[in-house]
Amino acid sequence: MSTDSRIITASVLPPPRSVTGIGGWIRVNLVNTWFNIGLTTVFGFILVVALWYGLKWVFFDADWRVIGTLGGRIIIGQYNVEAACPGRDCFWRPQAGLLLVMVLLGMAWSVSGGGLTKRIAVLFAGALVACAFLPYGLDKMGLDVRLLFAANVPALALGWAIARHTRLGTVSWIAVLAFCTFILILVLLRGIPGVPYLKPVSVLYWGGLMLNLLLAVVGIGLSLPIGITLALGRSSRLKVVNLLCVTFIETFRGVPLITLLFMSQVLVPLAFPENFPQNSLVRAAIIITLFSSAYMAENIRGGLQSLHPGQGEAARALGLPVWQTTLFISLPQAIRNVIPAIVGQFISLFKDTSLVYIIGMLDVVEMSRAFIQGNPEYLASAKEVFVFLAAVFWVFTFTMSHVSRRVEQHLGVGKR
Amino acid sequence: MDTILRTLTYQGIPIWRNVFVIRWALQIVSGLLVVLLVSWFFINVGNAIEDRDIPYGFSFLSREYQTPIGQHFLAYESSDTFLYAFFVALTNTLIVSVVGVILATILGIVVGVCRMSSNWIASKLALVYIEFFRNVPLLVHLFFWFYVVLELPPVREGYGIAQKVYINNGGLSFPWPSPNGTGPAGVWLLVVALAIVAGFVTHRRLAIRETTTGATSYSLVLGVAVTLGISGFAWLLLSVGLIGSEGEPPFGLSYPEPHGTFGRISGGLTLSGGLIALLVGLVTYTAAFIAEIVRGGVQSVARGQTEASRSVGLSAMNTLRHITFPQALRVIVPSIISQYLNLTKNSSLAGAIGYSDLTNVAKTMTQTAPAVSIFIMIMVAYLAMSLVYSVIGNLYNRHIRFTGG
Repeated sequence: MSTDSRIITASVLPPPRSVTGIGGWIRVNLVNTWFNIGLTTVFGFILVVALWYGLKWVFFDADWRVIGTLGGRIIIGQYNVEAACPGRDCFWRPQAGLLLVMVLLGMAWSVSGGGLTKRIAVLFAGALVACAFLPYGLDKMGLDVRLLFAANVPALALGWAIARHTRLGTVSWIAVLAFCTFILILVLLRGIPGVPYLKPVSVLYWGGLMLNLLLAVVGIGLSLPIGITLALGRSSRLKVVNLLCVTFIETFRGVPLITLLFMSQVLVPLAFPENFPQNSLVRAAIIITLFSSAYMAENIRGGLQSLHPGQGEAARALGLPVWQTTLFISLPQAIRNVIPAIVGQFISLFKDTSLVYIIGMLDVVEMSRAFIQGNPEYLASAKEVFVFLAAVFWVFTFTMSHVSRRVEQHLGVGKR
Repeated sequence: MDTILRTLTYQGIPIWRNVFVIRWALQIVSGLLVVLLVSWFFINVGNAIEDRDIPYGFSFLSREYQTPIGQHFLAYESSDTFLYAFFVALTNTLIVSVVGVILATILGIVVGVCRMSSNWIASKLALVYIEFFRNVPLLVHLFFWFYVVLELPPVREGYGIAQKVYINNGGLSFPWPSPNGTGPAGVWLLVVALAIVAGFVTHRRLAIRETTTGATSYSLVLGVAVTLGISGFAWLLLSVGLIGSEGEPPFGLSYPEPHGTFGRISGGLTLSGGLIALLVGLVTYTAAFIAEIVRGGVQSVARGQTEASRSVGLSAMNTLRHITFPQALRVIVPSIISQYLNLTKNSSLAGAIGYSDLTNVAKTMTQTAPAVSIFIMIMVAYLAMSLVYSVIGNLYNRHIRFTGG
């Protein structure tokens, strides 16, 4: 009893003054040893110089007008040129597709109840609305385009309201709707022959960020299931299945994507009968998906190998058949263990969509490069263009890795 | 009654539920499907080749390529054969790969160590570097550097450092050793190879002595000293003409010299602008990944290891060198090897910025040669490179693995 009271009466001392406050923080983090003082000096110098020249370049030296001149071509490429769309009135179709995506994002916001989804929704809606008020390219961007940009906020609110007040506000409904929306967007972009306002636009003219995102969505959606199948095949004891999967994975992992893409353009048309319907966009999507699946399979195999064999044995002992053991016991744990690797693969897939330049598709990077090549007066502004593109890609990929970290926290990776 | 009857008339497992039968049926069906699909492709390709008179086979290899290759490190003329041109392109890729791997490893380790530093500025700078470079497509990096190099002044107005190194939009020129006659140079290179082996053996024996007896043996210093000593001695002998003939050093330095109306630079070694952009882009991009691997590897070593090592009196530096790093290496090596492979494969983006790597040359070749054969050749070449890196990595991994001794 007396020991207890002594503990209670002893006062808790504050941390020593040398480690608190700004001075303390600096002492602990920057100048705690002679070596660190040296490091701080060197890196501080680098930081100051980099910031000085970087900011000076961004705000004074760089000529950002080139971005305005590129304008909508960054987003939709050549989709709205005369050759693709006679009358040049097709710009509303990609933008309508964007509005549909915003509705879905609004629904997701409502279902998740704020947090990260809300921040992403607000960020993207804000960026799109900001596009409506851009001073650059005034002559290029009509009022209709600006209104369609601004409509993204009402679309977000509409999605939010739908999810809040109807029965569609569940995760499974959103998944179903997302799939339908994707098909709808493809139809919208491709057009239907004979229908007014929906003139068919050849996929050869699809381009810009739209193309990167479409290829990435297809690749992400398909490479995970294919990768899981391949991983299961590779860890299977059936010799023929195993051999087939290993051959596929190692071939696709051994050769650069760019070589595969280029050869798909030269060889794949030969491998099908002459009247077989195919086009370069579909071929690119298939090759990117298969390439990514091979890497995905290796990631998932790593996850499967990290499982304790006891898990499978316990499931079998409970009487679950093999397919249920795989589907409900092994895979969920395996995938949870390798979420960072999977998202890393998604990110590199998104970055790799820029390689379609090799088959002559004008994605956002190639579009910009072709523009600079075709307009030598902008040659001096090439750096600005690629810094801008880097920032655009960075926003998307950083969002992806941020979401992955959140999902990991949510699933308690490394805690169970 | 019913159950008894069924038990009495038990005929074994029905065939459609027999695991053995199911497994084999599954394998045969899937195998057949793939074989059918592949043969359908081949039949179609065969038909297409016949219908459209597409050339095939490998007879083109001995024909003249008749297309210039931008930068090449082996001597090359347009009149050389396809096979030789392919080989020249392969060397171009290999050089980028090897130089890129070395530079990316150094930069990656530096950034990774900075990331783990307790120094706030160093750690955050490394974080910004990693997050930025990893998350932007390599192609954007390459184009950025390419246009940066293009903005350099033309050759005549370019920068020169002490009349030895020249930087301009044609690339970077610097002095490079050139052999004085093939005989002495060859002899000296052979001696150097032997010296490296001798140095390695010395290092190995001294290292074993140090681990068994505990006597400080300076294995690394002495090994390097043996290599340098033998090479230097051979250089001296060759220079004074004791074993060589002319009595001049086996290698001289060739300096770049601008001349002519356009200020073309000859002599020395000139790295074209495309190659520089490619190397800078590849190295800075891959280093970001390597830095993360290094950090992950070091952090995977249990904290108790460091604490134990510090408490038995090893300094922070020695702890990193003898305790943390050797254990981290086992985690690091497999991932880093896959980054080396990625760098090699990513070098195929060189075509976009005008460097003649394997893929770029092969792409040009398909205009005058059968695409199928060329595709097979590139695939074999890249798979062989992957294999070499994997074998080296696995050998090293076996060397450093935990043996418990």
